[in-house]
Amino acid sequence: MSTAWTSAPSGQARRGPGPILQVDDLRVQFRTGSGVVNAVNGVSYTLSEGQTLAILGESGSGKSVSAQAIMGILDMPPAEITSGRIVFEGRDLLTLSAEERRKVRGPGISMIFQDALSSLNPVYSVGFQIGEMFRAHRGMSRRDARRRAVELMDRVRIPAAAQRVNDYPHQFSGGMRQRVMIAMAIALDPRILIADEPTTALDVTVQAQVMDLLKDLQRDTGMGLVLITHDLGVVNEVADDVAVMYAGRIVERGTVDDVFGNPAHPYTEGLMGSIPQVESTGGRLRPIGGQPPNLAAIPSGCPFHPRCPRRRLGADALPGRHCAGDVPPLRLVIPGREAACHYSEEVLGV
Amino acid sequence: MTDQQRDDLRHDEVGAGTTTGLAAPSVDVTDTRQNSLWSDAWRALMRNPLFWIGGVLGVLFLLVATFPGVFARGADPRDCSLSNSKLEPSAEHWFGYDQQGCDYLANVVYGARNSLIIGALAVVVILVLGVTVGALSGFFGGVVDSVLSRIADIFYALPLVLGALVILRSGSLGRGVVAVAIALSAFGWMTAMRLVRSQVIAVKSADYVAAARAMGASNSRILVRHILPNAVAPVLVYATITVGVLIAAEATLTFLGVGLQRPAISWGLQIDAGQSLLRTAPHLVFFPSIVLTLTVMAFVMMGDALRDALDPRQRS
Repeated sequence: MSTAWTSAPSGQARRGPGPILQVDDLRVQFRTGSGVVNAVNGVSYTLSEGQTLAILGESGSGKSVSAQAIMGILDMPPAEITSGRIVFEGRDLLTLSAEERRKVRGPGISMIFQDALSSLNPVYSVGFQIGEMFRAHRGMSRRDARRRAVELMDRVRIPAAAQRVNDYPHQFSGGMRQRVMIAMAIALDPRILIADEPTTALDVTVQAQVMDLLKDLQRDTGMGLVLITHDLGVVNEVADDVAVMYAGRIVERGTVDDVFGNPAHPYTEGLMGSIPQVESTGGRLRPIGGQPPNLAAIPSGCPFHPRCPRRRLGADALPGRHCAGDVPPLRLVIPGREAACHYSEEVLGV
Repeated sequence: MTDQQRDDLRHDEVGAGTTTGLAAPSVDVTDTRQNSLWSDAWRALMRNPLFWIGGVLGVLFLLVATFPGVFARGADPRDCSLSNSKLEPSAEHWFGYDQQGCDYLANVVYGARNSLIIGALAVVVILVLGVTVGALSGFFGGVVDSVLSRIADIFYALPLVLGALVILRSGSLGRGVVAVAIALSAFGWMTAMRLVRSQVIAVKSADYVAAARAMGASNSRILVRHILPNAVAPVLVYATITVGVLIAAEATLTFLGVGLQRPAISWGLQIDAGQSLLRTAPHLVFFPSIVLTLTVMAFVMMGDALRDALDPRQRS
């Protein structure tokens, strides 16, 4: 639980010597018939061993695209990585050849997806698919690979793994399928696991089981976990740090407790305000007004300003901090907290 | 049995490389062989009555084609006497006699070989060409797809029979069974290619392909292991039906005078010869037609069963 980490001063460098993953000013565009869509606009973060970083954002905020860019599984074209570095174990992945890149996927960085049913090949038994990891990457025999598959299925707590190893994906429940997916993803002991909305397709009790499983596996292996989600509850339960994304940018970053307890960006503040509270029954939720930005035409200045209740325009704005004209950089607001808002201090109330 | 005991058991097995009767509750533990798509598909096929009917018929025709002497009831297809011309079927001569007074059963039986060889050979070439070109085209897209698809379009410009006619007329291949099969497949692979191509394009964007890529699978592994097994089912069904079309096309070519030449024996030749005598001697069309239909049906039934077996979601 995140409460264990609240005494740590900052989100980085508190476990392990240095970051295992460093993303620097990543920018991704999609060239479509109707123009250029800027999906990711300068995202930077680091991930250390054993750290869980949640990337929080609504649909179209660029969280999945940035993850796919890190994995190297973006369809290019139409996507194009226009700038940035993705440093993993001292190498910039973007400069590697396709074949070197492929060798990183699996043993280095692995990924699980939202919909486990469609992410598993329907024509192979789950044991075969898990075993394929060992056969493809380690050149194991079928017999050994199958044995390892059963061990992995046990490890992700699939009951009666030995009996179910020859079953097909459609014969499993949603939660069990996601476990199969997780078993495949952790088969080669990756140093980083990217989980792209791993629990979105599951019901709440199964969600909790799957997140517990991921946390336990992380504790055993010390892998870094990037959790992409729009579920504030999941973030609160399992993540150490959170990066809030809006319009392809990180707008706030810090420990989960800090960010959730006292947001430094009006967007995060709006997200917190839209959570249903058990105590305030009968009260109205306070949604964020307006529409998510069109990524083909991102508003000038702060991309959130058209929806921001705290925006300062015209004479209200301080010099160089005009919400509709000046893009706010992601800056250190207070120790351990970064936010991309001209008036973060005001939002924080410090 | 507790989990701990079960774990111990399994570790023992891992150490010994064998299993003991103690492992009985978890049946599959004794079977350390990795199940593959094809072994599971084979098991599903064995349980499908359609496959059995089609398979038995297919094997029967295969035997007929291989050992025609055994099935001709001692008659020689070339031992003819005009006095027997167009005689009706009888207890002694089940299929009667043709216009030349030859035993018709012997003729139909001896015709199986050429028709089956041409159908099978042509369809194998069509499958190999169609799947290979279609898979490359669909998977790589872009320039590769454009070039390969345009090449297919060029072949599409000539209809199957006309194209085959042109090839056979050129005479460089001769007029034998292999020449007819090559001529037919050269102008028959494009539909298979388009089927595979469109299936590959559809399957390529599936989540499990993205997942396989995220797990570090190579292009060739993704294409062969993940995309093709999910893409070939329609083309297999198409292929089984095409066997019949090809046998009929062979008959057409023969009728036009560029396919097999008399004195070769084939169902196509027999049906064409019988057509003009349909009123006076209907059995001359009936027997080769019914045998041709049964052959095609056998392939279609096997194809259907195969399609079901290759899709685990269809299995009960």
